Amino acid sequence: MAKTFQLEIITPESAQNLGQITYLRAPSIDGLFGILAGHAISMIALGVGEIKVENGNEISYWATSGGYADIRPEGVQLLVETAEKSSDIDKERAQTSLKRAEDRSKNSEMDQARARGSIARAKNRLNILNR
Amino acid sequence: MANLKDIRNRIKSVQSIQQVTNAMKMVAAAKMRRSQERMENARPYANRLQNLIQDLLPDVDRSSLDLLNAREVKRIAYVIVTSDKGLAGSFNTNIIKIAQADIDEFGKDNVDLFCIGKKAGDHFKRRHYNIIEGHVNFWNELSYDHAIKFGNGIISHFLSGKVDEVRVIYNYFKNVAVQELSVEKLLPLTFDKQQKSNIDRIYEPSKEELVKSLIPRHLNIQVWKYLLESYASEQAARMVAMENATKNAGEMIRDLKLEFNKARQASITTEMLEIVGGAEALTS
Repeated sequence: MAKTFQLEIITPESAQNLGQITYLRAPSIDGLFGILAGHAISMIALGVGEIKVENGNEISYWATSGGYADIRPEGVQLLVETAEKSSDIDKERAQTSLKRAEDRSKNSEMDQARARGSIARAKNRLNILNR
Repeated sequence: MANLKDIRNRIKSVQSIQQVTNAMKMVAAAKMRRSQERMENARPYANRLQNLIQDLLPDVDRSSLDLLNAREVKRIAYVIVTSDKGLAGSFNTNIIKIAQADIDEFGKDNVDLFCIGKKAGDHFKRRHYNIIEGHVNFWNELSYDHAIKFGNGIISHFLSGKVDEVRVIYNYFKNVAVQELSVEKLLPLTFDKQQKSNIDRIYEPSKEELVKSLIPRHLNIQVWKYLLESYASEQAARMVAMENATKNAGEMIRDLKLEFNKARQASITTEMLEIVGGAEALTS
């Protein structure tokens, strides 16, 4: 039996305790990283991307728009602004928000950096939906 | 004496109004509870974020953090949080009154406004105040995305140097009966000086970068808090207002019923007198 550690996903709208898990993969700002039990204490910023949670053979995927991973001996806390489980993502909503973001990026008066950010988030949600 | 049919109609219309106010009261109560729940849910995130910032700040050069640096205050931005809809007692009027007084004291021309909710937007637009952003029609589907959107707008306005301070005027939800009007300074942020934390941690990216990204997120959660407090307060105010309306309607119905019965009695009495008078005329 592989070693396990505690995982909590904390967002402004909810705090979920996922219990003991064996492996976590999260998107840092410059690439994916994986965590097993017994990881060094650290604090890592997360970017837009996919969080993969493994507990033995049970695997779940989450879409996130960025935040922080606080890794401690007793477990990991993910402080993220959004975390949507792949099965909870609303396909239609994700598609409309992608469309809205793309329209906005064509409008030169809008803040381009903001528009690019929303496109990335919407695409990310759609990708994870198909997991 | 009013006629019977008129009174009956009035009773009926007051009764249907009472039904509506009663329903609105229940809806407001449900929405208020929901908003309170969300406030509870946001607390762990807000607290952890604040702790992180306070852990990291002592190790970071503050002068590089523009959102923390106080400047000489020449222009102020006010964020005014009101509701879209009325029928909530003095919820909106109070906030607009205080906001207007504060703004006029500082000078209308030196103030930029972020109006959240229709009521504030309408009021200040009519009076030609300097509105930077107005947000309406979102309260029903309020989500954290809104907080991020409003927060980003406020931050970029502050960072562009157009204003030197940002204040928020909103209703603080104390409990169902009491909502306190509150004026808070949002930017520049102030944090208490903290002692160096001595946790040996790996930071990725550097502490400076982390703090730089943490602070806007901290602001977003503050904005989220203001939105939720205001929403809960709005619903509480509406609940109390509708409770009173329902009670008043009840009283009105009672009075009308009394009047109705009096009129009915009177008409019976006159009819009786007529019959008796008629019978007497026949016998004599």
